Amino acid sequence: MMANVKWILSPLGKGPTRRNLFGPVDKVQLRADYQAALRKDLDEASRRWGFDFMSDQPLVSGDFQWEGVPGAKVPLLYRSCVLGKATSQRATQVTVSPKRVKAAPAKNENEKENVPENNSERCPVNLERTPRKKENGGLKRKQTNITDFYHPKRRFVDMRIKSGE
Amino acid sequence: MELLCLEMDTNIRARPDPNLLCDDRVLQSLLTIEERFLPQYSYFKGVQRDIQPFMRRMVATWMLEVCEEQKCEEEVFPLAMNYLDRFLAVVPTKKCNLQLLGAVCMFLASKLKETRPLTAEKLCIYTDNSIRPQELLEWELVVLGKLKWNLAAVTPNDFIEHIVRRLPLPEDKLTLIRKHVQTFIALCATDFRFAMYPPSMIATGSVGAAICGLQLDSVNQSQWGDSLTDLLAKITNTEVDVLKECQEQIERVLESSLREGRKQQQQQQQSQRGTSSKGLEELDQSSTPTDVRDINL
Repeated sequence: MMANVKWILSPLGKGPTRRNLFGPVDKVQLRADYQAALRKDLDEASRRWGFDFMSDQPLVSGDFQWEGVPGAKVPLLYRSCVLGKATSQRATQVTVSPKRVKAAPAKNENEKENVPENNSERCPVNLERTPRKKENGGLKRKQTNITDFYHPKRRFVDMRIKSGE
Repeated sequence: MELLCLEMDTNIRARPDPNLLCDDRVLQSLLTIEERFLPQYSYFKGVQRDIQPFMRRMVATWMLEVCEEQKCEEEVFPLAMNYLDRFLAVVPTKKCNLQLLGAVCMFLASKLKETRPLTAEKLCIYTDNSIRPQELLEWELVVLGKLKWNLAAVTPNDFIEHIVRRLPLPEDKLTLIRKHVQTFIALCATDFRFAMYPPSMIATGSVGAAICGLQLDSVNQSQWGDSLTDLLAKITNTEVDVLKECQEQIERVLESSLREGRKQQQQQQQSQRGTSSKGLEELDQSSTPTDVRDINL
C-alpha cells in the first residue's frame, strides 16, 4: 500500500530517507548510558527478586526465600553456558528457585504490564522437573539433522547438471 | 543430491481465519487487554526534558519512511511507535539518542511481525551510520527491559478487520477502505496527540474517517440503520461523543497534513524550476489533491 502514502503523510519527501536526524551521537556517553541502564535493570531485578545476581547470593531483606539447588539438577535450559565453546560450568552452580513466596512483590505504578496475578500458584515448585533425555550429555545442544532420521545412501548424480557450473 | 529452492520472494500469507474474525470473544479480548500497552504518561510533561513533541514527529516521520521504503508490514510502524512511546514514558532520553531509539523500536517490531525482518545493518545505514549495529543490539536489550519484554502490544491495525466486517460495506470497496484506514492509523501514530488513545478508538475513528472521506455513508444511506458513528461506537464499546471527537481530530490532522503537503510541493516545484534538473515524475504532479477520494493510495 504504502507507495503513495506520501500524499497524505506530507512532511515526507525532504530528501533521502537515509539521514541523521539530530546530529552526531556521543559514543562515549552512549556507552556510559548503556552500562548505567543495564546496572539499573540489574538493581531493579535484585530488589524485586531479593537476590544479588552479581554474587549469586540471596539478599537478606528480600520477599522470597531462596533455596540452593545443585546445577546438575536443573534442566539444561536453566544452566549457564557459553555458546560455541566447550562450556565451563561452575561446579557449585547455585541455581536457585523460589521455594515459597512470602508476599507478593509490591506493585508500583510502573508495573502495570506483565505482572502475573498470583505468582505462587502459577509456579509450583516441581514444575521444572522436565524429563531429560541426556543427563550427562554436556551442554552442547545438538541440532537435529535430517540424516538423523534416515541413513544416507550414496548414489551417483550426473555430474553435468551440477549446480554452480 | 540436487536441491532446488523454489521459494518465491513474495511472502506467503494465511487466509483470513473465520475462527478469529467471526468470534466475538476475540474482539472482546482485544478490547480488554489493549489498555495494558498504552504509554502511561504524557511524557513531554515531566519525564522528558531534552525531547520536544516536534522531535517525536521527526523521528516518527523518518521511521515511517524507512518502513515504506523497506515495504514493511502495515503494523510494524504503529507497533514501533508504541514501543517508542512506552520507552519514553519511563526513561528520560537525550535528543541525540532519539533516532537510535527509533531504529531499535523498528528492529523489534519488525522481528515480531515480519517473515523477513529488517536487519541491524540496514537500520544503521538509514541513520546515515550515526549508530553502529553493535550499539543497536545493546540498546535493544535496554529497550526490551523497559518494555518488560512485553512486545505483543495491541495496535489499531488489529481492529481493522473486526470493525470492517461488522459494517454493511460494499464488497468491492473493502480494499480501498482498508488502505485508507491503514493510512490514517499511520498518520495518527506520527502525531503525539493520539499516543494515549486506546488503539480501538484510533481504529474506529480511522474507519469512520475513511468511510466519510470516501462518502460511502451517503451513497447507501438506507443500509445504515443507525448513523455510522453510532454503529461504530457499538462495535468497540466507545462512547459516541468521544468517538466523534476522535474522528474529527483525525480529519483535522489529515487536512492539515494535506495542506502542508501542498505547500511543500509548491516550494519543491519552485526550486525545481530554478534548477530544472530533478525528476520529471514530481513535476507531473502539478496539483496535490485536496479531496481524499482523489488520492490514489
